[in-house]
Amino acid sequence: MKQGQFGKYLALALLVVGFGYSGWQALTHSWEESANSDVEVIRLAHWQLEPGVREAIDEIAADYMQLHPGVKVEQMAIPDRVWKQWLRTQLVGGNPPDLIEMASYHTSDEMLARYFVPLTEYLNERNPYNADEADLKDLSWRKSFAGELVPDETVHYYSANLLEYYAVPNAMVTVRIFYNRDLLKAALGEDRVPATFEEMLEICAKLEAYGKKIGRKVLPLGGSIFNMTKLTGGLFGGTTQKLAIELDYGHNLNLTNFEGINGYLRGHWNLDTPAVRTSLDIVGDLGRYMSPGWVQLNREDAMLQFLQGQAAMLSTGTWDSGGILQQAQFEVGAFRVPSISPDDPKYGKWALGPTSEANIFASLPFGLTQTSKHRERAIDFLRFMTSRRENTKFAEQSTWLPVIKGVPIPKVSEAFRPISNGYITGFVIQGFNSASTNIFIQNVHLLSGSNASVETYIEQTKGLYPKVLREELARIAKVNHDTIKQKDSGMTGFFALEQKAGLARSKFDIVAAKQLEVEAQRLQALRSLEDYPLEN
Amino acid sequence: MTKKLKTQGSFWLRPLITLGILLATQIGYSQKADIDEGWTLLSRYLYRDASVIFEQASEADLRQRDLGLAASLLNEPPVTSRKIEQAEKLLAGVISGSPVDMTSVYALYLKARILHMHREVGVAEIESAYRIVIEKDPQGGVAQLAASHLALLLLYQRPDLDISQRLAAAEKLETVAVADSLPEVALGYYRTLADASLFYEKVTPQALGWLRKAHAIESSDQLNQIGLSLQIAEVARALHEREIALSYYQEFLTTAVPTDQRYHTAKMRMQELEENK
Repeated sequence: MKQGQFGKYLALALLVVGFGYSGWQALTHSWEESANSDVEVIRLAHWQLEPGVREAIDEIAADYMQLHPGVKVEQMAIPDRVWKQWLRTQLVGGNPPDLIEMASYHTSDEMLARYFVPLTEYLNERNPYNADEADLKDLSWRKSFAGELVPDETVHYYSANLLEYYAVPNAMVTVRIFYNRDLLKAALGEDRVPATFEEMLEICAKLEAYGKKIGRKVLPLGGSIFNMTKLTGGLFGGTTQKLAIELDYGHNLNLTNFEGINGYLRGHWNLDTPAVRTSLDIVGDLGRYMSPGWVQLNREDAMLQFLQGQAAMLSTGTWDSGGILQQAQFEVGAFRVPSISPDDPKYGKWALGPTSEANIFASLPFGLTQTSKHRERAIDFLRFMTSRRENTKFAEQSTWLPVIKGVPIPKVSEAFRPISNGYITGFVIQGFNSASTNIFIQNVHLLSGSNASVETYIEQTKGLYPKVLREELARIAKVNHDTIKQKDSGMTGFFALEQKAGLARSKFDIVAAKQLEVEAQRLQALRSLEDYPLEN
Repeated sequence: MTKKLKTQGSFWLRPLITLGILLATQIGYSQKADIDEGWTLLSRYLYRDASVIFEQASEADLRQRDLGLAASLLNEPPVTSRKIEQAEKLLAGVISGSPVDMTSVYALYLKARILHMHREVGVAEIESAYRIVIEKDPQGGVAQLAASHLALLLLYQRPDLDISQRLAAAEKLETVAVADSLPEVALGYYRTLADASLFYEKVTPQALGWLRKAHAIESSDQLNQIGLSLQIAEVARALHEREIALSYYQEFLTTAVPTDQRYHTAKMRMQELEENK
């Protein structure tokens, strides 16, 4: 047989086997369901493969099945790299799991409306599984959450266009620096975490010197772009808070990227502005302790570097904590990136103090699919899962932060406790849009290693911002335009349905007001682009 | 041979009959489709599904059906200029020869929206279309909404006017734009004026006044109301209106939700103000 023919037959055989396997799975699933027609099967799908999460959900499911013997809860963990395609196939195929992890970047408003059940009314009821909790029993399910599930536009559990909740979260996450306690003890002679940024730099220097002393390379900071942008975001935001207040022309202590871009176009800041320069200095000063070539590493490489003891510290989200604690062969500690004090003579001129983490969003939210055969049962399981008792169990097993009021943060996760009494985030130059993030990512090597130079970074990148930031304004105008047009149709529906009962404070009234806001921003973007054109 | 063909024929006949019955049932059902189902689908942004329902809806209320179909076509994928033209024709039909009622006023409003956002014609034509809606039913909610959108046009799409003229032209619409029919829109109108003033970096007592009027309407959106109290405090601070600033800082601190990152910064700024008597 020729090689080409063999390949063709092999592909065909694989296809047949694949189809056969899928068919068999579908058949066995349907046989199982018909054989156990008295059993209510609730399927729950997510992409959190980090150690601890599946185990926690399994435990909660086991508790629930013990309480409700006629129910079977099945967990489906799908890798995140295939999640998007998998989700589409499941939803369009008409047989998705009952409960699905939600993220606004995976599910458009149209998908929410077509495939998911609005949960607002359920969230306004009490959670019966908190009936024994004196402080929670009279609260609505929504109010039992630590952040009370504020209907913000940026969260994954609420749709500002449809004005409905579509998911119920289970955890919170923060970003911390994980460190190898054994290595730090050896290098410093004691196990201590830095209280100030100066101390952080001092520890990095001592770790480097320790490596030289023992004759092997010790990287003070390990990391990939994924890890480092988490760290640098905090550093930029912590050194420029006063500039953020200056640029906040909306006067609401919330500098948006939109305002930042307009400020740039109007000439209120550039890379040489003292506060911006200070924020680049701080990244450069820490970047000196990064190894050359780290920019090429991916998230898994960085994790390996840390777990193998090559890097003493790693900045990542608390979602990685379970994996780190399980796999590390050394004692692990964690601390928050030290904040910049306003009294710091080098970096403190534009700082207010530690940035608040009060607005960290609740994560791991599950939505209910329209086709669920056991809708009320699935809701009941969600209530159970987010009761104080079960959320305590989830936090302990997964090491993720709890999301329900009064659930204690497990001792092992104490370092992840969000800082709620901090100040606003400052001006973060790396994050205006994906293009400005790319400028940072492509040039951050100039701020790292022994030859780190802020001057070179500024020289290399300052010519890129005028075009990129204007493109971002044009993008915002386009996205807003699409939203505005869609609302024109949706509002006609609300108008027809609600006019008889009176439109005041109706959904029509609320969506119309929201549309005005979005339209104003679009027209502002177009105004700025016309008033401040790109010079040759 | 004949027998074989006959067998094949009867083999195909049964599913065909079944399919026919199913189709007939479906058509019968569709004809009875409730127009409200179309509105519900439209309110959930399911344009194609809504358009199918409106197309098949009974002709008992042709104007309602055409209004629904026009609104659906504006966003039915793929969006084409032909569908927009079709929507305009349907709306013209709803408007022509009809009494002035909610349906015709809304059709006029939607027509103005098409000119402004879906076709983006010249500013004069759009302005005139919004003014027609306002003239038709100046006390109504639809006119109120049209006035707010017209205000946006005057604020940002009239570079021939200087900034104070833009603000003054938009403010002239106040009597229509703040009617009781749509309180959230009335609030949105005042915010639109204040935000435009701040966008143009005009921190004035007038802007503060608009923000306070917006705040007095009380948004049903908790975050919006909380945000307004802080914005008033900050604008008052910039204008050296110490007492006003302090009282709104205090309100913000009392009502802020636990996830508001601005709490301690606002508290610090209030304390600074208190100390600088």
